[in-house]
Amino acid sequence: MSARTTTPAAPVAWALWIRSLGEVTRVRGAIFGSSLAPLIFLLGTSGQFGRLVGLPEFPTDSYLSWVVPLCCLQGAGFAGAAAGANLARDIEQGWFDRLLVAPVARPLLVLGPVLGAITRALIPVTLVLVVGVAIGAEVTGGVLGVVLLYLASVGFCAVAAMWGIAMAVIFRTQQAGPLMQMGVFLGVFLSTAYTPQPLLTGWLEHVARINPVSHVLELGRQATVSGIDLSLAHTWPGLVSLAGMTVGFGALALVGLRRMGR
Amino acid sequence: MIGGAARESRVVGALGRRGLSVQFRRAQLLMPTFVLPLLVLAVIASGTRAGRDLEAFPEVSSFLGFVVPGTLLQGALLAGLTSGIAIASDIESGFFDRLLAAPVRRSSLVLGRLAGTLGLAVLQAAWFLLIALVFGAHYDGGVLGALGAAGLASIAAIGIGGLACAIAIRTGSMSLMQSIFPFVFVFLFTAPAFFPRDLLTPTLHDVSAFNPLTYVVEGARGLLQGDTALGDPWLGLLAAVALAAGATLLAILALADRARRS
Repeated sequence: MSARTTTPAAPVAWALWIRSLGEVTRVRGAIFGSSLAPLIFLLGTSGQFGRLVGLPEFPTDSYLSWVVPLCCLQGAGFAGAAAGANLARDIEQGWFDRLLVAPVARPLLVLGPVLGAITRALIPVTLVLVVGVAIGAEVTGGVLGVVLLYLASVGFCAVAAMWGIAMAVIFRTQQAGPLMQMGVFLGVFLSTAYTPQPLLTGWLEHVARINPVSHVLELGRQATVSGIDLSLAHTWPGLVSLAGMTVGFGALALVGLRRMGR
Repeated sequence: MIGGAARESRVVGALGRRGLSVQFRRAQLLMPTFVLPLLVLAVIASGTRAGRDLEAFPEVSSFLGFVVPGTLLQGALLAGLTSGIAIASDIESGFFDRLLAAPVRRSSLVLGRLAGTLGLAVLQAAWFLLIALVFGAHYDGGVLGALGAAGLASIAAIGIGGLACAIAIRTGSMSLMQSIFPFVFVFLFTAPAFFPRDLLTPTLHDVSAFNPLTYVVEGARGLLQGDTALGDPWLGLLAAVALAAGATLLAILALADRARRS
């Protein structure tokens, strides 16, 4: 029987959460990049592909409304992936080794950074939504739609954080940072990011259909896309997808974490 | 004088080779630079192909061939960013301080890093053009057009690398450099990377005129398609060279400032 003493979970998670939030002030410019980039991406994407709404089968006549949820998810995803990059830095600098020998359950070591990432993600998501609406995006789903958009964003941030943390504990170097962010990009791009399912062609049509992020986007698009009404049919696939990805990447992160220090 | 120049060119060559070998030493780190742009190309080509049905979309023999210059540009941006991340890594690990103490011109340290960027960009451009060709892209401009387009993208990569190095040298923070990653796509989407400039929304159309990469991507498109109506290659070359020269100067000035402060 183990006589190991463990520290209560809540104070540990709280402390690591607060430390994770400290990244905002500790890394100069980091919050600037992660907040402003989705915003400029919103403007760039809507400007680049805005004329696509002229095609038949596009569910809205406002491309801005189509990409606001996409950019919210991207901003949230980057905030999540940053949790992995920060963990990789802690591993490289040896600080994480000290945490590993502490009498703390290992899942708690990643819970704080995930909560920190979710908190930080609220900044770009809110910024994108506010600016998007200010420059012409519609809020067709009302308050409930906006709640669902936040739910989709926060959930996707948690998924991206799990993915980033898994990469961090596997590669144990900050140079894996682009790999963490690439995962977010791929998840978003290989979906109905730019055009709805009927307008996709070739292999992407099939990949987007099975990519769970397409469902998460649909969950969020109930807020702004007039052709996607608020309904359970547009909600539950996104929720199930988020739950599945969180469990899958969370398990990967925990397996990597357990292997550390062996 | 000639002996000094020869010695400095050896330093530049050695640092360039080191930059490339560091990049290739860890295969997983090549993924973002060599694979991500191809995936984005595939997604854009499949996801927005319907845009060809829009009025004002120019007659081109292949949509894939039309969007490939955007991929070359993306590769150039990523290759440049990689330089900044690598130099920040050298600063954090202390290697850069040892380089600063070496009896070589400081500008050679920057030029050496950018030589590695150039090598990486050339390899990337060849890879992207080849893969797109295999998957059905048509280059009506022939081999010379493809070589010219690759050359433009590689010079632009030096420019982005110079900017990334300047930021890395000023901040010395790898975390910050990694948070800059999303901005790569800002530069990309404020240029007519994947859609013709005439089909951009009016605001972005106006903004794109101030992005030097607009002229690079249009020049590469004109070369690849063998149609200068799609872009002026000489204007592209001028923009790429001006960007490379200006950014390299910025990086050298940043290094001089850092050396003064240390």
